[in-house]
Amino acid sequence: MNFGSIPLTYYLVLSAALFTMGALGVLIRRNALIIFMSVELMLNAANLAFVAFARQYGVFTGQLFVFFVMTVAAAEVAVGLALIVAIFRTKHSIDVDQMSSLKG
Amino acid sequence: MTAEQILFLLTGALILGSALMVVATRKLLHAALWLVAALFGVAILYAILQASFLAVVQVVVYIGAIAILFIFAVMLTRREMRDQGQQTRTNWWIAALLGLLILAGLVFLILAVPGADRLPAALPEGLDTVRALGNALVSPEAYVLPFEVASVLLLAALVGAVYIASVGKKD
Amino acid sequence: MTQSDLITILPLLALVVWACALLLVDLFIPKGRKGWTALLAAAGLALTMGLTLAQAGREASGFGGMLRLDGFSTFLNVLFLGSGLLGVAVAYGYLKRMDLERGEFYSLLLFSITGMMLMAQAADLIVIFLALELLSIPLYVLAAFARPRADSEEAGLKYFLLGAFSTGFVVYGITLVFGATGTTSLAKIVEVLAAGSLGTGSLLLTIGAALILVGFSFKVAAVPFHMWTPDVYQGAPTPVTAFMSVGAKAAGFAALMRIFVMAFPSLSADLTPVLWALAALTMFIGNIIAISQTNIKRMLAYSSIAHAGYILMALVAYGNPAVAADSVASALFYLVAYAVTSFGAWSVVMSLEKPDAKGLEINDFAGLGRRNPLLAAAMTIFMLSFTGMPPTLGLVGKFFLFRTAIEGGFIGLAIIGVLTSLISAYYYLRVVVTMYMREGEPQAEGEYWLTFTTVVTALATVVLQFLPAALFALAAGAVLK
Repeated sequence: MNFGSIPLTYYLVLSAALFTMGALGVLIRRNALIIFMSVELMLNAANLAFVAFARQYGVFTGQLFVFFVMTVAAAEVAVGLALIVAIFRTKHSIDVDQMSSLKG
Repeated sequence: MTAEQILFLLTGALILGSALMVVATRKLLHAALWLVAALFGVAILYAILQASFLAVVQVVVYIGAIAILFIFAVMLTRREMRDQGQQTRTNWWIAALLGLLILAGLVFLILAVPGADRLPAALPEGLDTVRALGNALVSPEAYVLPFEVASVLLLAALVGAVYIASVGKKD
Repeated sequence: MTQSDLITILPLLALVVWACALLLVDLFIPKGRKGWTALLAAAGLALTMGLTLAQAGREASGFGGMLRLDGFSTFLNVLFLGSGLLGVAVAYGYLKRMDLERGEFYSLLLFSITGMMLMAQAADLIVIFLALELLSIPLYVLAAFARPRADSEEAGLKYFLLGAFSTGFVVYGITLVFGATGTTSLAKIVEVLAAGSLGTGSLLLTIGAALILVGFSFKVAAVPFHMWTPDVYQGAPTPVTAFMSVGAKAAGFAALMRIFVMAFPSLSADLTPVLWALAALTMFIGNIIAISQTNIKRMLAYSSIAHAGYILMALVAYGNPAVAADSVASALFYLVAYAVTSFGAWSVVMSLEKPDAKGLEINDFAGLGRRNPLLAAAMTIFMLSFTGMPPTLGLVGKFFLFRTAIEGGFIGLAIIGVLTSLISAYYYLRVVVTMYMREGEPQAEGEYWLTFTTVVTALATVVLQFLPAALFALAAGAVLK
């Protein structure tokens, strides 16, 4: 296959759409797990755009930023899911709108 | 259209469709599985962008570890797989409108990027990408600092996650 | 690794190694004797502080320009390490009293401080991103440290979800900046911008910078990205809240100052109005909502939001080369003032807190003036300092902030600052009135290190106002180079 026949714009539009969808998921949904999944979508959107930019500039090692974002995402998932499971054990709900022991 | 372009369009549709399902579906387990599909689509795009190392890491770390942890968490927090009740906030349409505006703004912005419609130059022949990335990761002039910081970060997250998850009995 | 690399990273390295060693040593410290862990953590912080101070005045750059050591980083590192020491001092007795005594607390605290120091020294967007996460992830856990208490767990989860969301913005912002300039190094971004070959790509850069600003606005709790603050501050164990309100906020501002003042002064035409609106909204909303709070932790949370607004006010004029140094200097000065005052106020709150989040209403302070004059006097000093009244550090801090805003030509903003300070007097002084004018029998904790912290911060609030302004100009000069 002949690589390199897709302009950067396509990747960026795709990434923007993915980012927006992730952000919407965070704002719209009430389930903590889905909110967190939406955050992962946002991170992936940024990663995709970064790799496309790095390819365009020919800055090969720029890809490593994406590698670090993935590492951080793994660390966040470990802590985040532990928190979500712990709170489910205490309250039997992970609906963020029902977290009422703290009132605003 | 070249084969690459067709593959790109199909993958793009897969990613956006799966992402939409993650955000919209009522069933938690389905959302997690759609997330896997979206992540896999991104891995394919990395391959098309000739970032083979990242494509592999995406599959191993994102799908193999992160998405699977999500599925575990779904199973641990649900007695039954079907979600009852209101799933969205009452003012969701305001957020949706805002999202559309942001998207329009971003797309407008992207179309204004200079040279974005140019095709990227071909990578040099015989470039050993994995070796180059590996060298960059341990070179003090390049990325050894972020690499080490990432390892400390993982240690801190590990300690934290174990503390939170350990059953809070009086000890 | 060159010598310059080693010099740059030495304090960080010492703290990380110490934190890892502490994790191991803690395993051999029997339960009920965790005071040793606290002591060791404090020793590590003091050692790092010594190294940092020994390097004061030195400038170095290491790891291909990713890490810097300069007056700015030294100044902030001392602030972070100091708040870490105070954090350990107040946490020790509190954890014992609330039955939360676990060695992990101190290791996580040290990891978080490492992240903050890395943030102050970072000169590359990749390192800034990793530092942000290294300081945040331990804080998510610390906020939920009182698990399985529901309010603490909820605080942890809320902080985590909002933090992860803001990370998404920071990462996308960094991506767009990389897309516009082709590099993540702040120094190289400056070079690219100076070459002026960006063209329409500068729009991309502006949006990227704005997204980074949004991400850090979550961290420093600026309106409209403040929603998490009251809940998290209320639910988290109080020592964590105290540490978070000082350390995380200062680290967020450190990154903002480094990125914006160093790399993006050319964007100020677009970003100054945004910063103006953020600062004005934050001062206004934070102070207004604080009035209606009856819980002292929530009131201090809104007060911390309002103070983020005051510090932002200093940064509004960052693009004007004539006042840029003043703007950083006054922000740093106010950060010190806020840190000392805030830690003091939280330590008084801890003295009155009872298990199961009791004793945290403002009404519970009634009669403190008679029962415990020392504590009440200290709290009065902190409240005066928050308001910006003499004879306290807060007054000097606010004076510098307002002067910077006026010199930068933002008289309207300075007026908003003065007006909102007047509003804030109402709820700060209400605490003082409650302590002295109303009857009550509050039982204050007489724990040694807690009282020590209260006394030290109260003295510092009064004495530090005589610090020479030259010190801050020195720190500010470093960031502009």
